[in-house]
Amino acid sequence: MSLKIALKNYFILFLPAITIMLFMPATSFSADIGNCLLCHKYPGISRVDEEGKLKLFYVNEDIFNNSVHAKVKCDGCHTDIKEIPHKHAIKVDCLVECHIIEPASKKKFSHKDVQTFINKSVHGVIDNKGKEKKFKEDFPTCKSCHDNPLYRPISFFKRVRPGISEQSLGRCRVCHKSEDFIYRSYNHVTTRLHPLNIAGVCAKCHNDLALVTRHGLSTKAVYSYGETFHGKAASFLDERIPNCLDCHVSKGESVHQMLTHKDPNASTSEQNKGKICTTIDCHPSASPKLAKYGVHSEFNLTQSPAQYFFTVFFIVLTGGTLLPLMVIIFLDIVRRFFPNASIGGRK
Amino acid sequence: MKAFLFKIYMLLFMVLVVFFIVVIWNVTFGHIVHEYYERQKVNDITALKGSNEQEVEKSTFEKVILESDERVKNYLGYKILEETRIKGHFHHIGFDIGPDKRSYCVKCHGDIPHDAVKEIRAFLNMHTFFVGCQTCHIKLEGKNKTGVFKWYNRMSGEIVDSPVKTARPGTYKAKIIPFERVNGQLQRIDNDERIAFALEYSKREKTLTEGQKSRAIKLIHKLVSKKPVQCEECHQKDNPLLPFEAIGYPKERVDSITSTEVVGMIKNYTKFYMPKMLTPEEAKKK
Repeated sequence: MSLKIALKNYFILFLPAITIMLFMPATSFSADIGNCLLCHKYPGISRVDEEGKLKLFYVNEDIFNNSVHAKVKCDGCHTDIKEIPHKHAIKVDCLVECHIIEPASKKKFSHKDVQTFINKSVHGVIDNKGKEKKFKEDFPTCKSCHDNPLYRPISFFKRVRPGISEQSLGRCRVCHKSEDFIYRSYNHVTTRLHPLNIAGVCAKCHNDLALVTRHGLSTKAVYSYGETFHGKAASFLDERIPNCLDCHVSKGESVHQMLTHKDPNASTSEQNKGKICTTIDCHPSASPKLAKYGVHSEFNLTQSPAQYFFTVFFIVLTGGTLLPLMVIIFLDIVRRFFPNASIGGRK
Repeated sequence: MKAFLFKIYMLLFMVLVVFFIVVIWNVTFGHIVHEYYERQKVNDITALKGSNEQEVEKSTFEKVILESDERVKNYLGYKILEETRIKGHFHHIGFDIGPDKRSYCVKCHGDIPHDAVKEIRAFLNMHTFFVGCQTCHIKLEGKNKTGVFKWYNRMSGEIVDSPVKTARPGTYKAKIIPFERVNGQLQRIDNDERIAFALEYSKREKTLTEGQKSRAIKLIHKLVSKKPVQCEECHQKDNPLLPFEAIGYPKERVDSITSTEVVGMIKNYTKFYMPKMLTPEEAKKK
């Protein structure tokens, strides 16, 4: 048998297998080796705990398989579960070494580095002097900000539509042969949160009036962001506008290392503030003075007197003209309904 | 006719003007009033902060129960995934089932009612999503047994076709309800009369004497069996209580539900926990 015929036969033999692999649904790549979804695929699997909190044990397989943790096996995070039926599972420690091998270092993957960044940031529970900060319950844990991050592929080509860029994938395919690998790597690299989602994450704490006041913060940050041009554009789902991280994290640093504006290394410090707006992605030709405008101005005489009086002027101007105008129109319509009506017999 | 149309036109115009008045008020002077109250809140919290005490969380009904049903949107570019946010919950839910508006049991017991037996309460609540309470808690035996079960829509309450083949396991917007025989006719066990009785009790509960309440509760629960249906009564190959094929389960799903894997797991659970399952009150005490 010639080599050509042999190859042809192999091709015919493996064609169905290759076809099945290519068209296999995403669920088949599931990390559910322990068959945990036998029970956890049911949305009703839940209970109310002793504190009155709802505990839901449901895992939506389709959504999970489109998340950054799709390749992590269930017991990669739920390390205490070794058998079925299992007892009450302990709280997941996000810093645990899961079963994923980090491709660059070939070591077991862990989020420990993130904790290091958090400890150095304003969100760390321990202050510079090694003491515990006040109201430590308010400081975020991993799950305060993150649920399971979902793949959100962005098409960079021609900025026409969001989604997977087939042109990018084509370039991956030049070297990489595994479709699964290409799909996951591409999604992993291109995925980032939408500006509104980032604002939503920060809003959980930074729009909480009680928390903001307890910690002496000057503003309900996400609310005041929402009042600005950037915030309004974000609410119309514009992706090009800056989100919280664009200004509050120095370029190239971990987003978890958010420093106080008093820290000279912070992007928002007096020394660095001017560079925020003039970055090449935003307003490269602007003066550094642009960053001095009140990004988080609130309607507050103490915090932003100029904006306060400006707003009051416009409120009085708008309300003082339009409201009487509307009342006059309303009364005019009433008169048209009752042309002969009079008060106290007057005509 | 012309005068009438003119009046309608003027009336609509009047409504529009009132709408504009409300909008303009809200964005101008109403905004100032709102801000004033916000400042008041800040002052109250600042006063507490001065005493270095965390604000005592107000356990109001609104805060604990109503605010916990928060919604969240995930902007994925190509779609927006909107779902319920459960504080501290990591995995996404991704869809809404909707409330069971037909069941009069959930009006008092809620839709996550099982709590007594620690080891299996989550499993029982899982079944509550697609199995009507009466299916397990009312055992029609002997001559009362009909063996007829059907699906009803959670929202409308109407009997519907089996949703099993059209949705993922457990994500049905319908529940299974047993049928009883009354005067030779098959009728659903949650008939209108029973629902009306339970709702009437719920409405007039505050005005009833203790004795009247006891009687009403007894009558509402008259059909409830002392010992509910056990897991293995359905999860078995031979003659399961629920006629799976008749209620629309395809063969592969029936095989899965009654598979060694599922039955074996139930046996494992019941082996350890059966004594408590049979005496939930004792389990509660523990």
